[in-house]
Amino acid sequence: MVSVKSFISAGASTSQVLSDLSAKIEAAAIKPDLACIFYDADHDDQEIFRSLKLRFPEAAFLGGTSCGGAMSEAGLGGAGSIGVLLIEDHDGDYGVASVKLTGDVEDCAERALHAALDDAGCAGELPELIWIYQAPGQEEAVIAGLRRVVGDRCPIIGGSAADNAVAGKWRQLGPDGVIADGLVVGVLFSSGGIGFAFQGGYEPSGPSGVVTKVGYGAAGDSGIVTQSRGREIISIDGEPAAEVYNRWLGGRLSEKLGKSGSILTDTTMHPLGIDAGKIEDVTYFLVVHPNQVTDTGTLSTFADIEEGTRLYSMRGDKTRLVERAGKVATAAAAGIPGGLENLAGGLVVYCAGCKLAIDEQMDKVSKAITDSFEGMPFIGCFTFGEQGLVLDRNAHGNLMISAIAFGR
Amino acid sequence: MEGSEELRETLVGMRRELDMLQTETAHANVLLRALDALLCVDGDADPFAGVFSDLLPIFKASHAIVLIQEDNDESLLECAASNAPALVGSRWKSSSLIAKVLSGRIVTTLSTEGTEDWPPEADACLERTQSALYLPLAVRDRRGLLMLLRTHGCAGFDRSHVTLARKFSVLASHAFAARNAHQTEAESTRLKHLADQLRVSQEALAFRANHDQLTGLPNRARIQELVDEALARKRPGEKLALAFIDLDDFKRVNDFHGHAAGDALLKGVADRIRAEVRKTDVLGRISGDEFVIVLDPFDEEEEIVALVGRIRDRLQAPFEIEGFAVDGTGSIGVAFFPAHGRDYETLRRNADTAMYQAKLASKGSVEFFSQELGRKLADRISLERRLRAAFDDREFKCVLQAKVDIHTREIVGFEALVRWVDRHGVVHAPGYFLKSANELGLLDGIANIVLDELIAKLPSLDACFGDGLRYSINVSPAQAAKPVFMRALAEKISATGRTRNFMLELTEESLLAAGVFQSEILPLLREKGIGISIDDFGTGYSSLSTLADITADELKFDRSFIRAIHQRPRSQSILRAVESLSAALGIDLVAEGIETDLENDYLKNKTRIRVGQGYLFHAPQFIDDIIAEHATLVSVAEPDSEHRATGVLR
Repeated sequence: MVSVKSFISAGASTSQVLSDLSAKIEAAAIKPDLACIFYDADHDDQEIFRSLKLRFPEAAFLGGTSCGGAMSEAGLGGAGSIGVLLIEDHDGDYGVASVKLTGDVEDCAERALHAALDDAGCAGELPELIWIYQAPGQEEAVIAGLRRVVGDRCPIIGGSAADNAVAGKWRQLGPDGVIADGLVVGVLFSSGGIGFAFQGGYEPSGPSGVVTKVGYGAAGDSGIVTQSRGREIISIDGEPAAEVYNRWLGGRLSEKLGKSGSILTDTTMHPLGIDAGKIEDVTYFLVVHPNQVTDTGTLSTFADIEEGTRLYSMRGDKTRLVERAGKVATAAAAGIPGGLENLAGGLVVYCAGCKLAIDEQMDKVSKAITDSFEGMPFIGCFTFGEQGLVLDRNAHGNLMISAIAFGR
Repeated sequence: MEGSEELRETLVGMRRELDMLQTETAHANVLLRALDALLCVDGDADPFAGVFSDLLPIFKASHAIVLIQEDNDESLLECAASNAPALVGSRWKSSSLIAKVLSGRIVTTLSTEGTEDWPPEADACLERTQSALYLPLAVRDRRGLLMLLRTHGCAGFDRSHVTLARKFSVLASHAFAARNAHQTEAESTRLKHLADQLRVSQEALAFRANHDQLTGLPNRARIQELVDEALARKRPGEKLALAFIDLDDFKRVNDFHGHAAGDALLKGVADRIRAEVRKTDVLGRISGDEFVIVLDPFDEEEEIVALVGRIRDRLQAPFEIEGFAVDGTGSIGVAFFPAHGRDYETLRRNADTAMYQAKLASKGSVEFFSQELGRKLADRISLERRLRAAFDDREFKCVLQAKVDIHTREIVGFEALVRWVDRHGVVHAPGYFLKSANELGLLDGIANIVLDELIAKLPSLDACFGDGLRYSINVSPAQAAKPVFMRALAEKISATGRTRNFMLELTEESLLAAGVFQSEILPLLREKGIGISIDDFGTGYSSLSTLADITADELKFDRSFIRAIHQRPRSQSILRAVESLSAALGIDLVAEGIETDLENDYLKNKTRIRVGQGYLFHAPQFIDDIIAEHATLVSVAEPDSEHRATGVLR
């Protein structure tokens, strides 16, 4: 039998918020096997870890910073919030492991997965689902490392830790405490079954072009470079990438061209898309969010782009981003044995870029998820990158929403 | 559908549901066969032989091993059955993984390497590289498990295998319990009931997987199967026809009357068609408002012509839905086997092409596929492919046609137009590609390419003609209705810092349409100082009274009135009326399409029009050619000639 409970509290003082959370958790009487914790980056997470570890010494921990706090079925936590999801499932197995992403990132991810399986007491077994939380920047390599072990036979869902201002203050929380530039891997063998969904809310707006040159850099400290893929798009169709993108956006970025700066909020409703495959001849897109222009006319993104990839100009709107959250939650709940009626609770990853763009309507997002989960407990975090299964392949994307649902 | 995102979502949902149904159907089949194998074996014969032959292929497993916990030592398990005979009787040590399975868990491993100690018999005949699937099994009152090893070369077991294993585990344990009870009558009855239920469930699943739930008709996958089977049976000389029916304006029914009414209409249409087709024909619904009929058999095509005609007529009468008369006409296309295709996909595609042609010609009509239609389709596909490539390669160029003072022939402005210069250097006029470009969603991008070129070459044009000319940009009604596009266009022009040099040519339809254009875009254009021209005046709504409501700078009197105007009193009268009104409203009047001196003479002598445009003065030219030609003119003219700063067409 799986039991899920969520707790959320907000405030400027970490001690005060933890005290409030502790009182709520005490009253709920739950002995979790897995604890997921997401919090505003301004909090002292060493203190969060110590407090929760003391309270639940046997539980597996995973989580990290989340842009502007967390959300739950009680609503949007807001600035300074800490959200905790506790999963009690004594007939299931849960394990976590964390690793600093240095050197060969794929190796790091593979090692962390095996360590998490060991932690769950399930070495060598295929988990029902792998949940990851990591520093932004090397998500593709992390997924590649995990896929070495499980391929696409098991969904890999998760997010990239976020701070409040893209200032590199993101951190991850794992079984050994808080790390920066790291990865936390959780393996879930639930006795009640798990459903999941991973979707975007954008559609192509017409223009497209082929990436003719990308910038590249060393992957971690290993010195390994790949010249054909990276996160800086230098040119599209042979022209400076920022100019082409600006043209696609009807000149929206004109004032920002020629200098370096953030375009994060300008592009949230007009990101780029990559062909992720077709269903009945209709293309399914993985979304990539350009976040910076440089004075040399290049674009940087939150996901790797390969030379020769066709990029599509995409468009979204606020209403769709609100509704999509509910649809993703519904799809996840439908995937558990017995469907929604058997839902114990859920975990939602919502892109921080979308959150910032729809801002005042974020309450509607938490409401949409709450309605889809029919009031069952959930925690939602806000991330700078999302991972999930797209057309039967584990992938990393931006401006996406993922949800997992736990069956009872 | 509101957008392609919704379409994608629907497709993903449909595919998931279909996959799930098909998987469940396949699972139910396997379970039934395996259950039968377990229950129907006589006496002490090995009940697993039949089970293995059913399970191994569906799990893509190379080995199956049944281990039963020993009575006197629970840390040991004996191999009770296996498709590898050498393993039978081997003794296996329990492990934490095996203990987990014996307690009721289904376990899948990444590989068999290092998972547990195997007996020497196993190490001798099995390799430890493949993924394994363990499922609990209660056999003869003892706990046991079934271990399946994945076939070499196949990816490991996944979630769908775990789901099937869970079902099999429960059923097989029940079956063994029954066998162990020596097949008492009560147990036999219970198991028979279980098997019957499973069979009913399997049949229901098979029906759901193959039929549309709304109408009960065969779905796309089933129709394809049926056609494939029918075609496989065909002997030389035998025929078959496939009719493709697409309801006309079905989206409007959903929009105006709601989805419940839309569903009722689909059911009504299905009933009417079903009433018309023969017993041997098969009607299917392959997507939202698309039906196909497999018409088989027939001798003469005339039989099909008559039958399809009756169906068309039957759909002409309105449907009574929720108290409203709702139209449910359908456009029908028909393709014949073997003349138009020898497989389902080709026949469906060709019938679809014919249907599309029918819809273009007249909604609610019937069209039969022909090779000519096929060629047209191939041409269209080829054009679309080339257009996409042309767009990617920016093969679209800006040409300019001068607007002139019809008395002095002095250039007063230019209209920007588009040409496609393909990779072979062939110049294509807009009529050749604009419709397709619009359907492909490329029109806005092409407009931007043209405008970008014009803006980039403005300094060179200024050097030839001065910086006082106005350049007109055409905006289609569809573009005018898109606020994002229009705002971006206004911003782009605004970014030049010379909005007074630009004018947007819009049709009456765009200008008179209510909505965002009137409330937001028009004021924005006005605020920025971008000129507004009413293009093709006289061909649209042509309401002189509403002209007074439009704040425009220019009105272009359509070429259809200018053609031979000197001989056409009616056109002359209309021009006089428009001329008076535009003068009263302070709107400049431009005569479009002047091609002869006689037309121009009439305009010069009988009207007050000053500005004209047409091939008589200037055919559209690439900007570079205009600049080069002007430079040549200047070089042969006197240094102080007025040609330098303005431009006069001789």
